[in-house]
Amino acid sequence: MNTAMDDGRPESPGEQTLSFRAFTDESAAPPEASAPDEETPVPASASEPSGEPSAELGASSSGDEPSDEPEAPSDERSLDEPEASSDERSFDEPEASSDEHSFEEAQAPSDESAASSDEQPSDEPEALSDEVDAPSGEQPSDEPEAPSDEEALGGAEASSDDEPAGDAEASSEEEPEAWAELAELAAPADDEGAGDEAAGDEPADDEPADDEPADDGLRLADDEPEGSADVRPEPSAWHFPDPQAEQDSDDAQAVHAESAEPAVPAEPAELVGAEQAAVERPPVRRVEPLPPEMVAALTAALDALRESVSDLRFGLDLPGAAEARQARADLLAQLKDYVLPRVRTNTAPALIVVAGSTGAGKSTLVNSLAEKNISRTGVRRPTTGIPVLVCHPDDRQWFTKGDLLGGMRRIDKPSPEDGIGSLVVVATEKLPQGVALLDTPDIDSVVEEHHEIAHRMLDAADLWIFVTTAARYADAPAWNLLRLAKERGARLAIVLSRVQPKAREVVLKHFVRMLTEYGLGEVDRFVIGETKVVDGRLPDHEMTDLRLWLAELSVDEDRRAQAVHETLNGVLDSFRTRVPALARHLEGQVAFRTELRADVEAAYMSALAEIDKATRNGMLVHGEVLARWQDFAGSGDLMRTIQFRKRGRSGRQAPERVTAFRSALRAGLESVIVAAAHRAAEEVVARWRHRSELGGTIGAGLERPSDELVRHATRAIAAWQEHVTELVRTEGVAKRSVSKFVSFDADSLSLIFMVAMFSGGTVEGVPHRLVNALLGAESLRGIGAKALSDLRARIGMLFDEESMRYVQALDSAGIPDESTATRLYQATYNLEVAR
Amino acid sequence: MTAVTTRPGLAPRLTALTKIVELGPGRLDQKVLSEASALLTRAGERLKLSSEHTVVALAGGTGSGKSSLFNAISGLELSPTGVRRPTTARTHACVWGLEGAAPLLDWLQIQWRHRFARASALDKGESQLHGLILLDLPDHDSIRALTDTEADRLIGLADLVVWVLDPQKYADASTHRRYVTDLAGHDAMTVFALNQADKLSTEELAELVIDLNDLLRREGVEHPSVVPTSAVSGRGIDSLKSVISGAVSRRRAAIHKLEADLRRLERRLTETMPVGEALSAPASVDEARRLGLTDALCDAVGVPAVGEAMENVYAERSSRWVGWPYPRWLAKFRPDPLKSLRLDDVSDEIRGITTGSVSAQAAEVSNAVQALADGLTVGMHPVWRTAVHRAARSRSSQLPKVLTEDLTEVAPELDRVPGWWRILKIWQYFLVGAFVGGLAWLTVGLTVPGQLPASLQLLGDSAALPWVGLMMASVLGLGALSGIASRNFVVLGASRERERLEREMRRRVAAVSETMVVEPVERELGRHHAFYSAMRGLSG
Repeated sequence: MNTAMDDGRPESPGEQTLSFRAFTDESAAPPEASAPDEETPVPASASEPSGEPSAELGASSSGDEPSDEPEAPSDERSLDEPEASSDERSFDEPEASSDEHSFEEAQAPSDESAASSDEQPSDEPEALSDEVDAPSGEQPSDEPEAPSDEEALGGAEASSDDEPAGDAEASSEEEPEAWAELAELAAPADDEGAGDEAAGDEPADDEPADDEPADDGLRLADDEPEGSADVRPEPSAWHFPDPQAEQDSDDAQAVHAESAEPAVPAEPAELVGAEQAAVERPPVRRVEPLPPEMVAALTAALDALRESVSDLRFGLDLPGAAEARQARADLLAQLKDYVLPRVRTNTAPALIVVAGSTGAGKSTLVNSLAEKNISRTGVRRPTTGIPVLVCHPDDRQWFTKGDLLGGMRRIDKPSPEDGIGSLVVVATEKLPQGVALLDTPDIDSVVEEHHEIAHRMLDAADLWIFVTTAARYADAPAWNLLRLAKERGARLAIVLSRVQPKAREVVLKHFVRMLTEYGLGEVDRFVIGETKVVDGRLPDHEMTDLRLWLAELSVDEDRRAQAVHETLNGVLDSFRTRVPALARHLEGQVAFRTELRADVEAAYMSALAEIDKATRNGMLVHGEVLARWQDFAGSGDLMRTIQFRKRGRSGRQAPERVTAFRSALRAGLESVIVAAAHRAAEEVVARWRHRSELGGTIGAGLERPSDELVRHATRAIAAWQEHVTELVRTEGVAKRSVSKFVSFDADSLSLIFMVAMFSGGTVEGVPHRLVNALLGAESLRGIGAKALSDLRARIGMLFDEESMRYVQALDSAGIPDESTATRLYQATYNLEVAR
Repeated sequence: MTAVTTRPGLAPRLTALTKIVELGPGRLDQKVLSEASALLTRAGERLKLSSEHTVVALAGGTGSGKSSLFNAISGLELSPTGVRRPTTARTHACVWGLEGAAPLLDWLQIQWRHRFARASALDKGESQLHGLILLDLPDHDSIRALTDTEADRLIGLADLVVWVLDPQKYADASTHRRYVTDLAGHDAMTVFALNQADKLSTEELAELVIDLNDLLRREGVEHPSVVPTSAVSGRGIDSLKSVISGAVSRRRAAIHKLEADLRRLERRLTETMPVGEALSAPASVDEARRLGLTDALCDAVGVPAVGEAMENVYAERSSRWVGWPYPRWLAKFRPDPLKSLRLDDVSDEIRGITTGSVSAQAAEVSNAVQALADGLTVGMHPVWRTAVHRAARSRSSQLPKVLTEDLTEVAPELDRVPGWWRILKIWQYFLVGAFVGGLAWLTVGLTVPGQLPASLQLLGDSAALPWVGLMMASVLGLGALSGIASRNFVVLGASRERERLEREMRRRVAAVSETMVVEPVERELGRHHAFYSAMRGLSG
């Protein structure tokens, strides 16, 4: 994060301006109006809210870019005025303003920041002025330009690039840090002076030293909490518990409203219309309960979806199968636990799930809100293993009997023997009606079952409260969860706890910036300081904001219903991608299986072709077969095959030689088949392994032909030889002219016939001519065709048996049902229609 | 740096690892192999670098106080601490005792501006830390760390890792699942500092330490050394220092670390390729298997059949040379069925068949080779099995051709006519002549007695006629006898020839199979054996 500081520099003014906007958009519009009045002289007043974290968020996006275009008019303005005024103001205000608390607070820092922002006129004149205009409407001169060109450009481009840089500059550079420390050491009064100095210097030289702006920003941030206690609560989206000043509920409300408003950076149009928006906001779209017929349609569609999802089977352990199974289980659980119950009775109390890292203080938070020690707290990590649900006694019925989280066993008290799948339900009057809190196990401890439960709970939530701490807010698991929330479109509130008072500003600023980068800048946020936890609870004053927020949810049915509705919609929206993703995975499995099947087919087809070739090209008449043939021919047996009829002693020849010849032929053919089968088996496994690791796993132990192959092959060939002999005997009587006076030995002749067949059709060798002369060309062709097709059929059967082993291996790994994918798509479509 | 004497045990094991890395490609899983060669490189590099220094890394999640602890140990504010998460993005190093440390720091890739030195003059009473290189690592669990493996890298390189845990995060999966479960066997090289102890009461701390100990034991760290520390209050810093200084002063942490890494790698290796019975697998092709292969190849060539054929054909053909001629002449008068089939020339062609040479049948050859490989690789790891098969088959496409060519040289010429056959044929014809002569004598003696010239009186001598008759019978008998006798000689000779032939052919088949099958197979078997010997050597 050690990026150059130059990048960071433009940031600070940007932040400030933006922050201002954020501020003004929201609740602050009316008070704002008055603010400038008080401080009319200074146009810089516009840049008020500057210093705070929340502001940065928005700011960073729009602010950085304009740095290139120093605009003369704005420059001057900012140059002149702020110096003089801001100092004084910053001195005065904090002290003076005790009654208009929130308001003033807003003001004070803003001024300071104004100073700082003005200090870098070169960077940011445009943005500054725009923003100034937008809310206050005082500088019409700048307005035409600003939103239209630069701003638009800047808004679009700047947001993403520079932010991290700015971030870095502020956070991790050593030098600024050192500066900050220095500043801290210095007395608050001096501090201000330093600020002035800086302010004074910078405008003078247009291109100030790199780190100065950064320092400034930092110092300012640091100053505020240190220098004056009053300054602390800021007009950001943060809800600060304010021990000193009681925040009246109106105030809170106001702040709240503003926080709800999306900050939507990078939208010049909105910038201008921010005020308007703020005004228009109150008429929130009233969320009507769903009409019954729609509920029925939705329920039917969801039921269908659930059915088709539960029919899903991912048998093959392809990459991603585990995730798909998990996704399927999640989907089913969410449908059952949340979506279906929620659709059926959409007026049910809102379930607020408190989730977060281990040790973040989820249980403590829930205990404190419920003012009752319902969930165990402690130093051991992870602490909570069984989710605990707290609700108002009136709502208890709904949660104990209802379908929501229907799969979980309800118990009254957590006990060690209750394992996963239980849910503690506790009622307390301290909690307002209509909202229930659910304390969940962690998302990141070593106990991985906890993560699963936590995610299941989150799937059933109407609102998420995400708890993290000052030490943890940059943890990767936390951000994964936030991303999930964003993807699901769940309504989210973030609690940052265990914030040490002196670190508050820096941490908040940074965290908010991170949130904004993540696109979560607009969510409700609460801060809880690092305090002594007494009896598993936080002190009351820390809880005020959250209480109010809950109370508000409880009272304001519309808001609640809207939140509930939004989350539900988000979940239903997420089905659009989640369900097809499952279907796609299933299709992948089906395709994979088909491919593997095709591999088997191909391998054995080529093995058959190989054998076919071997039986034609004379390859078989080698080795022993050749020797036996020579023996047979050379020893005169061949001649003795053919005898004249009526010779009396029909030349029975040495049977052992014929037998040996026959078995040599059989062995030769058999070896060809076995060799081909070996190659095919290896080929199949090699192809499978090549396709994926899973292929290799399925094919394990199948890289050799089955043990019975040789036996079966021997039997098949012997049977074939019998068959050929039989053919020769029965059909080889054709040539009348010959058969009248010549007889032959069918056994021997069939062997000669085989040699003729195997030595290739083209060669006009002895065996060919012999059988041809004896049997006649026509019947020879007939016998030849029959013998060949019979041989093929027998080998084909052998290989079918062989390839069945692979099919069985595939089947035992699980057969995905192809139609399920289609049904899933259909169900998703139906759901969309029903909505 | 006398590597061998001061580091007994490590050197042979590294040698074994070298062997494994050398033999591994194509046999070992690519990931494990690259891990192994990485370890080998690392070990080589580390051992070359200063053995006077011990690299101690402070690792942990973001916000657990690594930098604070680093500063507390070094006594200087060297590494910036902060509340923003994550704070440290670059590793900082502090060296006690500079000389010789620079190459080590270069190797660790610590940037120059993040290197700090504690001059020994500063450290009164810290002499036992002399030789320490303390690293303050970036975190491994923040969103920044997702794209930055710096912490991972240095955790792997450091000689001693101090895991800085804190009460909030000590049970995080990101620490335990990714690192601690990997640590089994690294007990001596791992210290757990439970930082931020100041945030807890004494009882809480005690409970937590017990819990952490249990957790670590469950994960296979047999003797976890847990040191509660607080960078803020300074508590426990001294005990942590003493733990570190203990390791530093022994100067053996680097070796222990490498040994532990070797052990872990060995575990991974044995997981993927268990030694098991592998070493009992044959390292060479024994005599029985060679014989089996030769037999099978002989069958593929048809050696026995060739011999038999030779014997039969010789016996059959010799009768036309050495046999009694009379039956042969008689047979000529018998009608030939071939002639009636108008296949007169076939008999010549049939004789031509026997001139064909020997040849090997490719399918049987490949089956023979396959059988040898199958027999040798029983119980082998599939990867090695495939390798041996491949080696066996490496030249099997040429094998039938080579066999055929080689054996053709010794193949019997079935149409060969030995000289003594010719002599016997002459002898037989001479006997026939004698018989004919006798017949003429008899005819003359019986038909024209007394009318012969005096010189031929003898022919007409009737007293001699019975003797002539006797002689004729003897000639006939002699012909028959010599026919039978010489046929027997032919058969005898043929069977002797057959034996010789088969021996010769077997010899040649064996020679061919030796060079074309056995040698490559033995190379692979040797490789297999060497690999598993190295595996055993690695286990020490």
